Amino acid sequence: MTKSKLAISTVFGGDVVAYVTLSLISIFCVIPFVWLILASFDGNASLFLRWPSPWTLNNYIGIFVREGGARWFLNSFIVVGTSTIIVLVFAGFGGYALSRTRAWWKRPFLYTIILVRVVPPPALIVPLYKILLTGNNAVGSFVRSFLNPESVRPVMLVVGLINGYLGLILVFAAMQLPLALWIMKTYFDTIPHDYEDASLVDGASLFQHIRFVIAPLALPGLAAAGLFAFISAWGDFLMPLILLSSTELQMLPLGLFRAFLRVQQIDYGFLSALAILYMLPAVIAFGFARRYFVQTFSGGVKG
Amino acid sequence: MTIHNERRSWQLQLLILPCVLLIGALVVYPALYSIYLSLTNAALVGVAAANPRFVGMLNYVRLFNDGSFWHSLVVTFWFVLGSAVIGQFVLGLASAVLLRRPLRFKNLINSIILLPNAVPEVVAGYIWISMLAGGEHSTLNRLLGGLGIPSVQWLQQFPLLMIIVANTWRGIASAMILMMAGLSAVPPEICEAARIDGASPRQIFRFITLPLIMPNIFLYMLISTVTTISIFGFIYALTRGGPGNATEIIGIYIYNQSFTAFQLGYGSAVAVVTLVISMAIGLVYVRALKVQV
Repeated sequence: MTKSKLAISTVFGGDVVAYVTLSLISIFCVIPFVWLILASFDGNASLFLRWPSPWTLNNYIGIFVREGGARWFLNSFIVVGTSTIIVLVFAGFGGYALSRTRAWWKRPFLYTIILVRVVPPPALIVPLYKILLTGNNAVGSFVRSFLNPESVRPVMLVVGLINGYLGLILVFAAMQLPLALWIMKTYFDTIPHDYEDASLVDGASLFQHIRFVIAPLALPGLAAAGLFAFISAWGDFLMPLILLSSTELQMLPLGLFRAFLRVQQIDYGFLSALAILYMLPAVIAFGFARRYFVQTFSGGVKG
Repeated sequence: MTIHNERRSWQLQLLILPCVLLIGALVVYPALYSIYLSLTNAALVGVAAANPRFVGMLNYVRLFNDGSFWHSLVVTFWFVLGSAVIGQFVLGLASAVLLRRPLRFKNLINSIILLPNAVPEVVAGYIWISMLAGGEHSTLNRLLGGLGIPSVQWLQQFPLLMIIVANTWRGIASAMILMMAGLSAVPPEICEAARIDGASPRQIFRFITLPLIMPNIFLYMLISTVTTISIFGFIYALTRGGPGNATEIIGIYIYNQSFTAFQLGYGSAVAVVTLVISMAIGLVYVRALKVQV
């Protein structure tokens, strides 16, 4: 065999192995979705894989006309959206300060951030619940002190720490902050100090400087931080499970979970359509976040 | 200029204060508070709910004599080893290596492998319930039936293996992405030089590529171990820890002890053990990262 023939055969042979292996992995990855997609268009969907008959869009339409599906979406967007905004604001300022400061606490603080990131959320549920319960009683008596009794409950659904939007928003924000701070700190590290010196010499205050010089430069870092905060909070199931109980506050993960626990009367078509709509924002956000993924574990984010 | 810098330094500390307060109040303080709770008989209902008593190391003594706790640790160990260390890593590394070739459909394959990683945990649990359902009509049984394999009650007969398979499915992408990053940092000239010297592709991979991506592999092992220990929602949605307690990974065990059996003190003791394990891995991670200040 000549040398070129040998080269061709190894390349070809290698590619066949590559195609076969990658096809098997891809099939493994994609097969579980097949049932989900088919069932969501099936008028008589069941737990088992089958060709839809009749094909229908009613499952998708149903989400918005029955069973509070639209309400679940709204709640998820309110809670996850607000917590993401808090994360962006806090991590934007905090990351900048962390990147620029030369104070003694900088290194211990960064180490703490990494350690905080490895805390398993299930290990926090008991103390979090107790702490928020105490806080909730305080908020409750405060609200009761100046509101008439019938408006206390709706107000508590918003500002309550247990069974209220506010508690879950703060918990999500606190959980996502360490990664966001890390991303922003490493991102600001890549922005040269020259910009600052110029504007500070021109007499800008620190806040003017952040508003007009740093914030526009920080946008790619903020995009990465926001995407990861959103994805992680959007998919989380544990915290709503512990902290929410009212049906008015039901979010997508719990709504979906409770609906498929009702063994006797599961509407698989409805649930599958709901699951697909629930996963869409996460999948889209993940598509954008993908290129920042590696940097979150090691170095900085490059815009 | 010094006065200016000093004021600026104060302003910087002020900017980071909100982060410190929020993380302190809702992550660090709870973590420390769980140590205190684990030394009490705190409960969700009953007398101990109103007036928890200090019981010293009693919860820990009970813990170390509790078969269900050790069972949960063992299940978690196999779960981490099977899915993160072996399953996701092997398939992720294989995908990363093979996707470096100029193949057709490369981007499509890449996206398909990323998809399971992007799905919320409850949705992932929901679709695997269907995938693994018993009876000859379920997806997996149908596929295997086509190969002549009789139908199996997957989640009843092989519960631990099945959550390992399902979690492998979910995490191939994270391993693949980290391995791709490592591979793209390997200088092509070195491999080219080795090839000219007559090394086979296998030898190049074994003696050049693999040692060069070792830091990435190490980093991946640390991160994936910690994140896999933290898993709750996916497995809870899929099996709720059952059948029996066959898939009761540590997160589900903490939840069940605390909010199903209402024993907050005992649940906290389990949580503290989990925290210690994660922190130990986290300290190695801190050292490995060599944080640049």
